[in-house]
Amino acid sequence: MADSPEEIKKSIRLYLIIGGALFVGTVLTVMVATIPWMDIGGHGFDVWDMILGLLIATTKATLVALIFMHLNHEKVWVYWLFGMGLFFGAAMVALIFLAKGDPIHYDGFSTGGQPSAVISE
Amino acid sequence: MEIPYVVNPRKDTGLFNSKIAIWLFLASEVMLFGGLFSGYVFLRIGADYPWPERTLPVLPGLINTFILIASSVTVVFAWASLKMRNWRNFQIFMGATVLCALVFMGFKAVEYGVKFKHQAVRMVDFTMVEGHASYLKEKKDGTDHGDADHGEGDYVLDLDGDKIAINQHVFAVESASFNLNRYYKPWLEELLAHAEHDGATITLAEKMDFNAPGEEKPELVFAKGEVLSLDLLEAIADAYKDNAVRNATARKKYLRAAWEIKWADVEENDLLGEAAFAAAYPKGFELEADERKLAYTRWKAGMRAKMAQDVSIDSVKLGNGDSVEVLIDGVTYASRELPAPNSASFQSDKPIVVRHKGRNVITDYKPDNTSIALRDGTALTGTYKPSPVDFHEVDGIDFQHLAMDAEKKNLDPEIAIENSWLVKENPVVADLWTLHRQAVGQLEEILAKKNRVPTEKDRYRMGWQEIAYYMDAIEAHREQGGEGLPTIELADNANAPPKVKMGLKEHFMGPNYEARSFPHIAIPRAEILLESKFTPKWNSYYAIYFTITGLHGLHVVGGAIVLGYYLFFGRRMYLTNPEWLANRVEVGGLFWHFVDLVWIFAFPIFYLM
Repeated sequence: MADSPEEIKKSIRLYLIIGGALFVGTVLTVMVATIPWMDIGGHGFDVWDMILGLLIATTKATLVALIFMHLNHEKVWVYWLFGMGLFFGAAMVALIFLAKGDPIHYDGFSTGGQPSAVISE
Repeated sequence: MEIPYVVNPRKDTGLFNSKIAIWLFLASEVMLFGGLFSGYVFLRIGADYPWPERTLPVLPGLINTFILIASSVTVVFAWASLKMRNWRNFQIFMGATVLCALVFMGFKAVEYGVKFKHQAVRMVDFTMVEGHASYLKEKKDGTDHGDADHGEGDYVLDLDGDKIAINQHVFAVESASFNLNRYYKPWLEELLAHAEHDGATITLAEKMDFNAPGEEKPELVFAKGEVLSLDLLEAIADAYKDNAVRNATARKKYLRAAWEIKWADVEENDLLGEAAFAAAYPKGFELEADERKLAYTRWKAGMRAKMAQDVSIDSVKLGNGDSVEVLIDGVTYASRELPAPNSASFQSDKPIVVRHKGRNVITDYKPDNTSIALRDGTALTGTYKPSPVDFHEVDGIDFQHLAMDAEKKNLDPEIAIENSWLVKENPVVADLWTLHRQAVGQLEEILAKKNRVPTEKDRYRMGWQEIAYYMDAIEAHREQGGEGLPTIELADNANAPPKVKMGLKEHFMGPNYEARSFPHIAIPRAEILLESKFTPKWNSYYAIYFTITGLHGLHVVGGAIVLGYYLFFGRRMYLTNPEWLANRVEVGGLFWHFVDLVWIFAFPIFYLM
């Protein structure tokens, strides 16, 4: 528990380190997306860049949640509440993959299926 | 009243109350943003157009990420300072946090602003043109501008002195027919103002007489040639509406009179009597008494309904030669209908140029249309003026969608692009495309050594940096007296088509149009499928981008207000119950970290993927 003033004092260093790690992570994200020799997978954006980018982002998010949001030492209630939120949030994202074989088909809006010649402002 | 558990934890949860509350809220927020990000995935895998990859300028997003991370650190420090009872440090760190929020929103505003001013067009052949399209220009003598004299002349101002926005139907009106039920006054006013400006007179095309037969009120007669004004059209509309109301009343009275004639006949001849029923349904009398009664009642009701259908306004006129007169407002009407045309037609002695936003016009755009219909029921006849979308600076030419479309049709994308309107009609674009193909050809060779291939974006999209590079190359080549086109040479380690280097300001504000040269292209309206600024309307990428970053921005603002409240109004609580304030700041901080957390995902997803 980092709730007493003495313990908080000790954690200050940790907060700075995590802050630094987040900066490094951000720079890394941009580097793998922009510097040619760090481009994994094929040339340009592809699924490997996506996986790597999301991996770095997830790591950063985990650091924020564990350290800044004190999830590394919380009461069980908080884990339940947030865990449920995460679970259902993730479930919502996962549901999409059921629709993978059924891409959206869009052919015009309020023009009876015919794209109108000029749709302006 | 004392609020329990603001400082001390509850025994059952081990937490003070607001912490439970904020985690509940954050759980719902996770699901909210989770849903939106899943919407993003859905839009992306379902997109029927090339998804814009890595399309936003990275630097502003990167700086904003740094700012949010820094603010996450400072908000933890602010909380720690309170825990250690150091008010001064709390002020410094919380002040820094709120400042970070403001700077973040400042950058966001710049980013949004640039997009709102940046025009894009999707052409009929799916070429995308992006650029800086501002206003129509015309020569000083008022004639339409052509390509050659582009840049000369004045801006065309509207009647309020504002520059005319693009995205408008420009139509020379020769005659107009107004729907008297629902013509929209501001549009009429605009037409009249334009008429005055153009020195035209709009007059009533046909005489309109709203008098009932036998009635001779001069104020209900509108002579052919009367000059259109708000008052005139209002008087006509009022006369029409009065007549419409009287028509409805008269119709009711006529119908009642007709029914009475019919009913008199029924009563006189006992058409609905038991005898008539017996004649129609002899078998009915074999039934039991109460069944027969029921059958008779039903038959009577059915017959009445049938008779009512036979009664019409016409039957009064025709029925037995009886004339029916109806008295309304002291006037006797013998005729069954009053004149009530629901539109008034006007003509102009010379064409009046009016401009309407696309959404006001319900007819599809065709350049040779001689009439258009407005949403308020007004029909305008005349001719379209050429009103091209006039890009003063084209800073993006994108054939990705065209190429995709061609591949779908089993055509060679390169040939499809050669045959696109833009490359065929615009020699500058043709030159740019030739240079770009040269560059992509070299890039292909360079990448092939590493077993890689250029992306679709490399191949088919010329962004502003590429366009500026090619334009500079052409200019330099011509200045040296060179014939034809220059040769593009890529470096051995090239990874993309050649680009000009971006200036610092250009990272944020887009290309510097004054210092760089871009082609000018006027795209005729008939070649345009969709025109838009870079707003949610442009495509689903920008729709979801603005949804998620906009909602995130609202969270930043909300968080900054709460944290700012602790900073500026927390002193008294600090003096009376510092632990309570510390708990409040912790809870506010938790929200703030969550805002940071969302951005940690939003930044790579929107800027880098």
